[in-house]
Amino acid sequence: MSNVPVDEIERIVAAALTGDAQAESRMLIALRPGVLAVLKFGAFSRWIDPEDLSQETLHIVVERVRARTIDDPRKVFAFAAATARNLALNAARKMLRQQTVVDSELIDELAHNLEMEQGDLSDSDDRHLAQAVADLIDELPTERDRQVIVRFYLDGTDKQQLCRDLGLSPKHFDRVLMRARSRLRTIIERRAPHLALFPRITSILLPLALSFTFWVRHFGPW
Amino acid sequence: MKSLDHQSLEEQTRLVSRYVAGDLSRSERAEFEAWLIASPALAAEVEMERRLRRGIASAARRGWLKRGAFQATTSTRRWRFAMAASLVLALTTLGLSVVLPHRDTGQSAASTAANHREPPQRIESRTVRLAQVRGVANLPDLVFTQVDAPAKLVLEPDVVVLTCEDGVMLLECAGGTAPYTPQYPEYELDLVKRLDSSLVWRSERQAPVARNQLSFEVRDPGDLEAGNYDLIVRGHSADHEEVVARYWLRINAQ
Repeated sequence: MSNVPVDEIERIVAAALTGDAQAESRMLIALRPGVLAVLKFGAFSRWIDPEDLSQETLHIVVERVRARTIDDPRKVFAFAAATARNLALNAARKMLRQQTVVDSELIDELAHNLEMEQGDLSDSDDRHLAQAVADLIDELPTERDRQVIVRFYLDGTDKQQLCRDLGLSPKHFDRVLMRARSRLRTIIERRAPHLALFPRITSILLPLALSFTFWVRHFGPW
Repeated sequence: MKSLDHQSLEEQTRLVSRYVAGDLSRSERAEFEAWLIASPALAAEVEMERRLRRGIASAARRGWLKRGAFQATTSTRRWRFAMAASLVLALTTLGLSVVLPHRDTGQSAASTAANHREPPQRIESRTVRLAQVRGVANLPDLVFTQVDAPAKLVLEPDVVVLTCEDGVMLLECAGGTAPYTPQYPEYELDLVKRLDSSLVWRSERQAPVARNQLSFEVRDPGDLEAGNYDLIVRGHSADHEEVVARYWLRINAQ
């Protein structure tokens, strides 16, 4: 996953908006993890193929950047997010329409897709993850922090209630959650790195391939 | 979208948990997702939040977080102590059996023969996830023989449909949030023999963990008669019940 800081991404996008072709390629690489995240984490993720739609989203974003109808990098981010969301919504609608059709091939496909979604984690990965979380909770410095995590995530107690019960400020509560996520990342990266991040290699190769396609289309064959 | 400074990013990071839970309003979510595009670090936070939620639910299902995670430390220590004690005991026994002479070889031989007659040890536990949509092939969803059946079969059917707060099934609820209320507050699993439609086992009713996860434990399924069974999942509300899924289990004789 790209670790480009947020202001650097803003500079890259600003350069792409001026028509800099190199910056355009770098913009594709920089935006892809975020686009993929919006698609993967959105409400429609179980009905869509995020990899496929991320390419389509980036395609539309690049076309819009080239058309110079956007002048502010922050608007590019908002546009990319809205495009990804709309494409996901359309894909989900299409999938749900198909669900009503009694057709064995479609049902097979649907079942396959749902299995894919379910198979996001294998049994072994699920166990690794559960172990990592159990260790994380074990390692938390105070009993109060452990209670925050377990009661918030497992019992579904809301934040205000927990802050009242445990005498925490909302800021402290947020810090506990952020520290827990950060610690979990460290544990997972040590034990099962493939669970921690987006696949690193595809996050580089795919945008490169995409920008290559744009270049060929733009400047013709050689 | 606010300026892309570090402080604003921190503000967004505080929203990660609400975003993953689907609790942001439409405008909050739009701004958050614009930040997601601009910040891979924020995307990584979201990914970890999802992993954390799933990991906690999974650890709870496996009984590693029962009655509060604070027991994890004690149980881990107990487990390590038990392992160490077992190792010492095993080494001592081995040492004694080598050093001390065998007094009654006949009895020992009989005991060995008896050991050979013991059935193979069962798998302790097996967890099976059952997909929401079954394949169209006319095949059982789950098959095992009486001999290789685990001592404990954990069934995790993916059957809980999430609805909006008012119970309506929509892709997007009012305010732009994702559906997050389980369709039924409680679910149960019936094991029904197909031959005579007799109820063999019924689980206790349970509320979904982490909104949509169910886990039913069937003890000693190898003791069931060979044959075909239906696994029927029912959703229960105060005034209504519904069969939400049906799966096919086949137990073969040895």
